[in-house]
Amino acid sequence: MVIKNITGPLVGLLLCTLGVAAPTPKPAYDFYICANINRNYTIGAEILTMNGVFQRDAAGAWQHLGYNDMGVTAVAFDPRDHRVWYTSALNGLWRTLDGGKSWRMCNGWEMTEARDVAVDPNAPDNVYLALPDGVAVSSDRAQTLERRENGLPDRGKFTQAIKVDRTRAGRVFAGCELGIYLTDDAAAHWRRVLPTKEMVTDIQQSPHDPHVWLAVTQSAGAWRSTDGGVTWVNFPNVPTSRALYNVTFDVTQPLRYAIGSWAHGVLTSEDGGLTWQDRNQGLPAPHRVWRVGVDPTGLLYASVFGETLYVSKDFGRTWRADALPGTVVNNFLILPRRAN
Amino acid sequence: MKRIFSLILLLTLTALSARAKSALSGPPPSTAPVLNEQQRQADYTRRIDEVLDFAAAGAKFKTNDPAKLDLVTIGARLVRGEDYAHCSQRVIELMSKPGTGPFWMFPTVSAAYLGRGRLTPAALASIRAAWRTRQLRGDTENHWMMYYASLYLMSELYPNDPAESWYTGKSSAENLAEARAYLIHWTDLSTSMGQGEFNPTEYIGEYAIPLLFLASWAKDPAIKERAHLMLDWIFAELATNTLNGVLRGPNSRTTEGPVAERWNAMASSFSWMLFGNTPPTAGYGGWGLYFALVAKNYNVPEVIYRIATDRQADYLQRDRARTRRRWRYSDELSPLVYKTNYLRTDYAVGSTRGGMIDPIQSHVWDVTWAEADPRKKHNTLFSMHPHSSMVAMQSAFICYPEPMIKAVTMEGKPTYDSPDKILGSSPYEQVFQDLDTVIALYDIPAGERFPHINGFFSKDLVKVTESPSGWIFAQGGRAYLAYRPLAGYTWIKYSHFAGGWAKVGLDLGGRILTSPHLKNGTIVQAASASEFPSFAAFQAAINALPLQFSLEPVPTVNFTTLRGKKVTCTYGQTPTVDGSPLDYSKWKLFEGPHLNSEVGSRRLTITHGQLERVLDLNALTATDRVRTP
Repeated sequence: MVIKNITGPLVGLLLCTLGVAAPTPKPAYDFYICANINRNYTIGAEILTMNGVFQRDAAGAWQHLGYNDMGVTAVAFDPRDHRVWYTSALNGLWRTLDGGKSWRMCNGWEMTEARDVAVDPNAPDNVYLALPDGVAVSSDRAQTLERRENGLPDRGKFTQAIKVDRTRAGRVFAGCELGIYLTDDAAAHWRRVLPTKEMVTDIQQSPHDPHVWLAVTQSAGAWRSTDGGVTWVNFPNVPTSRALYNVTFDVTQPLRYAIGSWAHGVLTSEDGGLTWQDRNQGLPAPHRVWRVGVDPTGLLYASVFGETLYVSKDFGRTWRADALPGTVVNNFLILPRRAN
Repeated sequence: MKRIFSLILLLTLTALSARAKSALSGPPPSTAPVLNEQQRQADYTRRIDEVLDFAAAGAKFKTNDPAKLDLVTIGARLVRGEDYAHCSQRVIELMSKPGTGPFWMFPTVSAAYLGRGRLTPAALASIRAAWRTRQLRGDTENHWMMYYASLYLMSELYPNDPAESWYTGKSSAENLAEARAYLIHWTDLSTSMGQGEFNPTEYIGEYAIPLLFLASWAKDPAIKERAHLMLDWIFAELATNTLNGVLRGPNSRTTEGPVAERWNAMASSFSWMLFGNTPPTAGYGGWGLYFALVAKNYNVPEVIYRIATDRQADYLQRDRARTRRRWRYSDELSPLVYKTNYLRTDYAVGSTRGGMIDPIQSHVWDVTWAEADPRKKHNTLFSMHPHSSMVAMQSAFICYPEPMIKAVTMEGKPTYDSPDKILGSSPYEQVFQDLDTVIALYDIPAGERFPHINGFFSKDLVKVTESPSGWIFAQGGRAYLAYRPLAGYTWIKYSHFAGGWAKVGLDLGGRILTSPHLKNGTIVQAASASEFPSFAAFQAAINALPLQFSLEPVPTVNFTTLRGKKVTCTYGQTPTVDGSPLDYSKWKLFEGPHLNSEVGSRRLTITHGQLERVLDLNALTATDRVRTP
C-alpha cells in the first residue's frame, strides 16, 4: 500500500526530470440532457412519453431522472451535493433535495416559462433563473426567489441564457433580447457588455480556460470573449442570416467549438473559430438542429428536431442515429462527477 | 269523458314531444325577452336540465358503458343522483392516468366536489392522489384561470395536507395562498385595465367554468363573491356584444369556424343557456358542459338578461381591453385595445383599432347581420391582412424563430400560415369606426410574407353588385352593405375550416376578395334595409356620399358617412371626425348605454332601462336598484 501511494508522485517527478510534462489526471464527468419526446401532446393531455432530465449511464443508455415534465429547458446541480438539483421549466423553477424523488415548485404565479437555470459554484446557495421578462435570483437554494434586474432594460430583457463564471462568486452573464449583460455582484447591478438587436440565444464558458467565453445570437452571429466576457469579438465566418440556437465547447479539445442551428444545421470549428465547417452530411434533411453537445469523451451530439439524437465520433464528419427517437433536446450538460 | 281523455292524451304527447325535441335540432328559439321572472327562471332550469340530460347520457359519446364515461358524464350523473357505483369505479380508472394541466385539473375538481358524499372514499382518494402528478400551468390567461381556480379549490378541499402530498411540493396553505393571489391579481387587472382575452368566442368557457366553480364551492366568502361578480361582469360583456345571442364584432381570440359562421361558437351555447335567444351549438358547447353541472347555482341578473334580449334602441358601446402579453419586440408588455361596437336590430358593427392583438386568433372588425336562424350562416363581412411572421410568434411565445409557425398550424390554428386565411390581426392594419361605418387602411411593407389583403364575402350575401362607381353592394339578411375596395382585386373561392382542429377546408360557397396591393384599404358602410325604399335607393345614396382617397405615400380617406359625419383617416395618423381628432386617452374602461366603468375603478355599472346593477370589486358587492325614470 505504501509503495502504491508513492508511486504516482515518484513517476511524476521522474517524468519532470526527463523533461516530459506529467499527465494531468482527466476529471471525471457525468453527462445529462433535458429532452422532450412530444408526440402530438397538447396542454391537459396525459403525457405518454418520458420527458425531462436523462443521464447517460456507463453502458451508454439514457436513464430518466426525476419527474416526467414536458417543459424542462435546463438543469443545474448543487456542486456540494448532486442530489440537489434544479430545473427550469414551463411552470418556472423546480428543485429537488433528494435526487429527484420529491420536488418543489419554487416560484409563485409572478414567474413563468423559465428558460435557463444556473447555480453559482462558488456560492452554491445562489441560484439564477432566466425568465421571459428578466432574471430572478435566490440566495437560499431557491426556497425564495426575487427579481434582481437593476441595469437590465425595462423592455428587451427576455433572458434566454444565464451562466455563472466559475472563477468568481456572483459573476453572472445573462443572454437577453438586447444583448449580453454582466453582473459582478450577484445580480445587484447589471451592465451590458455586448449589445444586440435580437436574442442572445446561448452563452458558454470554456472548460479549458475560464477567460474564454462563446455566445451565439438570433441575428448577430457568433461571438467570443477572451477576457472573461468583458469584450466580445465576432466570428466573421459564422452566418448571421438565421438564428443560431446554441454553442458548445469540447471538453477534450480546447480549440473545438460546435454550433447548432435550425437553418444552418451543425457548424464546427477545430481551430478556435478561425474557420468553420458545415457538418450536416449524414444528418436528415432539412437539418433542423435544435441543440449540439459534446460528451466527456469528445462525442459530438446533434438533436435534430422531431427526428432523434445523432452522434458523431469524428466531430461531425459522419453521423449515426442514437437513441431517443422523436426527441428534442433543450440542454446538454457536462458535470464534474461527485461521489454522491 | 272520451273527449277529456283524448285532450289529456294530446297534451301529454305534446309535452313529451316538446321535451324530446332537443334545442340542438329544433327550430331557433324566440329572441323576444321573457319578462316574467318565474317563467324566465323555469326556462333557464329547463335548458340546464336539457344539457344535464345530454351529459348524463354519455354526452358526445352517447354511451352508457361505464368503462367509457368521461368526467362530465360522471359529473352529470352525480348531480342527478345516479349510478354512484359505476361513477366511482370509472373515476378510479381515470385517475390512474392523470392528465397534465388546466384542462385536466378543472374536470377533476368537479368530480372531487360533486363526488362528496356520493363517490366512494376510494374514488375520492384516487382524485386526491392524482394531484401528486406534475401539472403544467400553461402559458395563457385562460390556462392560468383554470389552473389557479382548480388549485385553489383542491387546496381548500384538503386544507391541511403536507407539501409532499401535492405535485407542487407546497403545503395546502401555500398552494391556497399562491392561487388566491393570482385570482385576485387577475380580477383586479381585468376590472381596472380590461380583459386580455376579451370577447372570446370559444374561451368564454375557460373563464366562466372556473369562476362558477369558485362561486359555487369556495369556502372563503371573499373569493366566492369575487368569482360571482366576475361571472356577472363577463356575462354582461357577452350580453352587450351579442346580436340575438350571437357574439360578433372583434374578438381577442376566436377560431376559423366562428369567424365566418359567427353563431357556431361556444359563446352561443352560453347565450342559449343564459338568455335562451339562440340555439346551442353541437354538444351544447363541448366541454362547456361543465358549466351546466353547477349552473343552477347561478342566476343571470335580470339587467344582464334584458341587455341580451330586450333591444329597444340602437346603441354604441366603447370599451378598453388589453393585448396578449408581449415578451419581445414591443415597448409595452400588454398594449391597450380600444373597442367600438354599434348594435342595431338588423345588424351590428364592431372593431378594434387594428394592429397586433393576439398573434394568431384575433378578429379585428366586421359587420354582422341578424339571421332568423343563424346556424350554418356566414353572416358577416370584413377585410383583413393575412399576417404570418416569426416576430409575431416570438413576441407572444417563448419560442425560437423557426419552428413555431408550423407548430401552431398543428395545434388548433390550421390556417395561420395560409395566404387565404380570414383569421388574425396584423401590425399593418389600422381601423376606424364611426357608428356603422368602418375604414380599414393597410400599409404593408415590401417583403411581407403575404403581401395582399383579403375581404370576406359570404355565401349568404345576396344581390352582390360590383358597381362602376367602385363600390360593391350586397344585402345580408335585412342589412344593406356597401364595400369599397381602395385598390384592384380579384376573387378566389373561400375555403371554410369548420374549427381550429379542422384538417381541411370545405367548399361551402363564398368568396374572398384578394387585393395584391401593399398600400390598400376598405370602406364599409352598413344600413338597415328598412331605411330605404329599395336596394337601388341604397346604392344611389352611397354613390352620392363624398369620397376622396389616395394610397401614396400612405393610404388616406376623406369620407362623409351615411350618417353625415366627415371622416378623415390617414394611415399612421389619428383619425378625425368633423375636424376633431379622436382622443383615445379619454376612453373609459366601458362607456355606453349599458356598461360604464372608469379606468382603474374595478367597478362596473350595468344598466338597462330603469334597471341598474353595480358590481364593485373593491367592496365585493353587487348593488341593484331601479332608477327613477
